[in-house]
Amino acid sequence: MKREVKIYVSLGIVLVAVIALFARLIQLQIVQQQQFGKESEKNSIKKIIETPARGLIIDRNGKIIVDNRPSYTLTITPFQFDKNLIDEVANLANIDPEEIREDLAEAKGTNRFNPILVKRDIDFKTIAYIEENRDRLKGVSYQVESLRYYPNKFKGSHIFGYNAEISPKSLQESTENYYRQGDLVGTTGLEKFYEKQLRGEKGSRLILVDVNGREVGAYNDGNNDQKPVNGADLFTSIDADLQEYAEKLMGGRRGAVIAVDPRTGEVLCLVSKPDYDLNAFVGTPDAKEINRLFNHPDKPLFNRVTQTRYPPGSTWKMMMALAAMASGKITPTTTISCPGSFTFGNRTFEDHGGYGSIPVVRAIEVSSNVFFYKLGLMLGINDYHDYSAKFGFGSRTGIDLPNETKGLLPSQEYFDKVYGVNKWSQGLLVSLGIGQGELGVSPVQMVAYTAAICMNGMYIQPHIVRRIYNSSTGQEIPLDIKKNQIDIEKRYFDAVKKGMYLVVNGTGTAKNVKNSEYTLAGKTGTAQNPNGNNHSWFVGFAPYDDPKIAVCVLGENAGWGNQFAAPIAAAIMVRFLSGNSADVFNESAKTEVHD
Amino acid sequence: MEKKLFDKFDITLFLAVIGLLVIGIFAIYSATQSSVSNAGFYLKQMTFGIAGLVMVIAVSYLPPRYISSLSYYAYGLAIVLLLMVLIFGRTINGNKSWFFIAGFGIQPSEFAKVATVMAVANFFYKGDEENPKISPVQLLIAVGLVALPAVLIKLEHDTGTTLVMLSFIIPMLFFAGVSPFLLFAVITPVAGIILAFINIYYFFAFLAVLLVILYFMKKHWLISAGVFALNVVSGFSVNFFYSKLQPYQQNRIMAVFDPASDPLGSGYNVIQSKVAIGSGGFFGKGFLQGSQTQLKFIPEQWTDFIYCMIGEEFGLIGAGVVILLFVVIIYRLLNNAYLSRNRYLMLTCVGFASLFFFHMFINVGMTIGITPVIGIPLPLVSNGVSSLLSFLLMIGIGMNTYRHKDIFLS
Repeated sequence: MKREVKIYVSLGIVLVAVIALFARLIQLQIVQQQQFGKESEKNSIKKIIETPARGLIIDRNGKIIVDNRPSYTLTITPFQFDKNLIDEVANLANIDPEEIREDLAEAKGTNRFNPILVKRDIDFKTIAYIEENRDRLKGVSYQVESLRYYPNKFKGSHIFGYNAEISPKSLQESTENYYRQGDLVGTTGLEKFYEKQLRGEKGSRLILVDVNGREVGAYNDGNNDQKPVNGADLFTSIDADLQEYAEKLMGGRRGAVIAVDPRTGEVLCLVSKPDYDLNAFVGTPDAKEINRLFNHPDKPLFNRVTQTRYPPGSTWKMMMALAAMASGKITPTTTISCPGSFTFGNRTFEDHGGYGSIPVVRAIEVSSNVFFYKLGLMLGINDYHDYSAKFGFGSRTGIDLPNETKGLLPSQEYFDKVYGVNKWSQGLLVSLGIGQGELGVSPVQMVAYTAAICMNGMYIQPHIVRRIYNSSTGQEIPLDIKKNQIDIEKRYFDAVKKGMYLVVNGTGTAKNVKNSEYTLAGKTGTAQNPNGNNHSWFVGFAPYDDPKIAVCVLGENAGWGNQFAAPIAAAIMVRFLSGNSADVFNESAKTEVHD
Repeated sequence: MEKKLFDKFDITLFLAVIGLLVIGIFAIYSATQSSVSNAGFYLKQMTFGIAGLVMVIAVSYLPPRYISSLSYYAYGLAIVLLLMVLIFGRTINGNKSWFFIAGFGIQPSEFAKVATVMAVANFFYKGDEENPKISPVQLLIAVGLVALPAVLIKLEHDTGTTLVMLSFIIPMLFFAGVSPFLLFAVITPVAGIILAFINIYYFFAFLAVLLVILYFMKKHWLISAGVFALNVVSGFSVNFFYSKLQPYQQNRIMAVFDPASDPLGSGYNVIQSKVAIGSGGFFGKGFLQGSQTQLKFIPEQWTDFIYCMIGEEFGLIGAGVVILLFVVIIYRLLNNAYLSRNRYLMLTCVGFASLFFFHMFINVGMTIGITPVIGIPLPLVSNGVSSLLSFLLMIGIGMNTYRHKDIFLS
């Protein structure tokens, strides 16, 4: 083909395209000019983003525990706004004029048509003032927005978590092009974990505005509008009454409580102390209070149930017993001699008493240390690690809360890495046998372990939300709860459970919490730690023959397990089973018992 | 003397470029004058416009062999810059295609367009035009030369520029001497897929036309049947593959072809832009008088949507003049390609003409709602230094071609 021909072909294509463009221009600018002219002269179109209502959070009895309330948010639309008004608006909103300047600077480069949020939760007086001075305060307006409202007598801070304005960093990192400056997003707790389900989908309205920016009606009769889709509701397994009771029992102590239904893994209550008032984060947060919370030495924002690891102390002994029986090192009837102390190498490990030759059930009942020192050595690091891992130690339970810790479960590789290959002694296993040493567990791991014991090895992922349902779309969002039957014989679990029964109902370490109506079972723990007094532990379940609740209580630096943790755990179990708060403190037995 | 000067200086091309630059600066001024943060944009555009015109003249005087010998280096540099931007770049409007050096935003993808055209032209430099023999391997390499930067730009999420990269390869292969029938066999399934996607009846009409064309091409009946079968299969399978996509992917594709399906995103701009242009009428509302554009109903109207500024304030006259100026530029580039005795310059001019054409057609078409919404600038008019200088570099080489049209170099 000659070059000339090719040029003509190319010019022909250009010609066709240009004719098409001109035809369309003539259609728009000559034929339809009147229609478009009217549309543009009288009105222009403005897009209003409509924020959906966030999903609610509901307790196991259908009670709303996290609700929404309407509120007004002061906004500025940059393209209409006169900068001379900054001081007046700042005064109106009772904020520093600098904040408004910063907001305006941050919004630069984004669509200047989008209103910027200046202050949330303003009062009616301010709104009235804006309405009165509408013509003068160009670009100043307000939006209706729903904010969180907590209708409870308890705090639930670490369950629900709070919402906060999206940070510039997450705004930039977000790939979905959904959030805008000023949007509220779930930042901790369930609010964060289920952000996508709770938030819903934004909608928008196209409205006609005249040349002065006044709204005169809907564009195209609202046919191009998109209704916001409200967020899905979270139906949790939390028992509002039990939660309130547990928070009260913990009072001003530092510590953690978690109770689950062992048959399903559903969390009944979850308390981390100190806690905080979620209302501090609603609307325009009080910067002073927020700073105080962030910098408090007791770390109230921290969830001690899921984010902290502690040495488990004697509550670990069931784990050792199960591992030793399952690996064939002992049988339920094997007796081990338990004098008042145990010497390994040149070190002597103390016990709080001599018990003679005793089987495993008795060892759990009296919480003999020597018995479990010896089991630690018999097991060796590999069995120790592998059996504990089956009960979820050293890995996340998968509870539906953000930033869960894995804890620390030492293994051969771990010690080789820390101390060097062949540079560590089996003596480490002595302490590990009684839940001390380089072992870190979280209360949620402990409750999942306790639940698995009382269910004869059925390990279920603990979870707070048991159903997600969007009532505006009718959509059910499926959940995936993991279950796993641990391959250990039932008779070994029976032995361990018998021991736990005797702890409370025999001559054990927690006989002070024996209850006449419900058969409680459990195990105390008093964990030595480098940060002051011992931590007080109790794990337990009830009723003994047909468990309906498993619980773990931890009191940081609260002393003996039977004194702080056990009474609280027992009270929670009885309260849940009876629906009444009973006096579970057996006064006569309230003596100091060592575990 | 005067006559001799213009004998070597493509004054038509030069004046058309100045015309577009001036209209662009006025439009940018109008689009940004009421904004505090963007008010200086027109000054920057003017400064770089003048500097760019000096560059155009300088480039037009360079010996052509300098330009051709620089091609592969320019291409290599473009690839390196694209890789660097992938690693260190900053994201603006969802595209990670920006580099910031001393406060100036630079988009290597704009430069990559020019460099890739030069590299492809250089690759076919030695060919004999009267009797082209292009082996399948050569063809693959040429396509690869374009595909590499195109993929890198796609990784920056800049879909518009990726499509631009693919726009000039077919015309350049056509002029390099690849069999028109082969190109025909490649293009028709793409056209068929798009038509089948929009409306299956368009596709049937397309197949009928295709049959007629194939008949007149008088190829072996097996080959003709093969091309036809390829078209039928690709056209009918598109809806099947579409149905296999995730809903959000489907939405994204729908929004490109039918903006009204996404009134919140790209559809919003098209609704606004049509009102703006339509309300401009024959004479326009006058400079700075466009109510749609002055009230900023169209975001970023000084870049990709600058054409609605022109349509609203200068009417059909202004909008038409802009298109005609582009036609002049494209015509002059093709004319210079026709005149040139240097195969390298001929091919670069064809590539540049394709780039001007594709940008103009897609950009203008998008604002008046007849082409998909693809975010690419209107050459020489949209605000943006990288794009402006890249297109002026093309003009410089186009003028160079005219100056050296009588010199045969190999």
